[in-house]
Amino acid sequence: MAVEDGLRDLRNRTLAKLDGDFARLVYLASTRDYNTGRYAHDGLSFRFTESVAQKVLAEAHREVFASLALSPLKILVAQLEQYIRSGCARPDELLGSWHELEPFRILAPEHDDPITVKLFVSNIRVALAIVRESWRANQLL
Amino acid sequence: MSGTLTLLAIGFLLIALLVYLLRRRGSEEADVPWLRDEDLAIPSAHSEDHRKEQLDRIFGGEDWEFIRRSTSRRVQQLFLKERKGIALSWLSRLRSEARTGMHLHVARVRASQELAPLAELRLAIDYYAFQAKCGLIAAILLLGGPMALRNMVGQAESLSNNLRGMLEAALKPEAFSQRTRIR
Repeated sequence: MAVEDGLRDLRNRTLAKLDGDFARLVYLASTRDYNTGRYAHDGLSFRFTESVAQKVLAEAHREVFASLALSPLKILVAQLEQYIRSGCARPDELLGSWHELEPFRILAPEHDDPITVKLFVSNIRVALAIVRESWRANQLL
Repeated sequence: MSGTLTLLAIGFLLIALLVYLLRRRGSEEADVPWLRDEDLAIPSAHSEDHRKEQLDRIFGGEDWEFIRRSTSRRVQQLFLKERKGIALSWLSRLRSEARTGMHLHVARVRASQELAPLAELRLAIDYYAFQAKCGLIAAILLLGGPMALRNMVGQAESLSNNLRGMLEAALKPEAFSQRTRIR
């Protein structure tokens, strides 16, 4: 019950303010500690408990990932463009570093189906190439 | 005539292999301590939907149509290379699941007091046919190039269904619970 309340709270207060599922995925993945794999969110922990916050963030992360992971490439490209347009002052920097470092590899939640995770990473790689090309073409105009 | 003889020889070889595997005594279930039934659970309705969606995405033509119509040749090549890798990973996982299922089945059969040689033979034939089909699809992917990936969703689905059917037959709990020495 507390987890459901927490999920509602997270959706209404935080996730609703983010522009698009891709931005939500990046946000949720960033609430997870790289070393321990545990999620943390001060506001949720304050309103509920640390353990509830952990479960809520893990569940929300799984939900958002599931909505994007198997979506058509066309939609993923649109989501990526929306993310870059709305949250990035220097799109060329983001496109360059994402191409070089592939930080999107850590966007998937833990324990998800490995083939789905591979497919998602591969699709992001292709979507990124498409967005980079269209960005360069727009720069040249 | 020679074709019939070859088939007969293959049949005898399979029977001999099966008898050898079933008769081999030893540490029985302890041979495969890493195997757990839950690892090989038959998929639920939810995971069934997920599996179909996944197959459509990997082998379906929707993404390729989008890529072909609206991107450069460089992106098209990247897409085809990526999808080829994913398809091969998917095939490899399928083969590994089948292998694991058969290991578990053989371990259970060794512990069983009653054997059904015909059913075992049918399962062994299904297993090798399945592995051969996986090999064939992998060869098509590797030799036919990325273009061979298109419209393979039908074959992939039938392969995946074959695997589920095989695992269901191999891991039926009632088939062994009443007959095994280990209770």
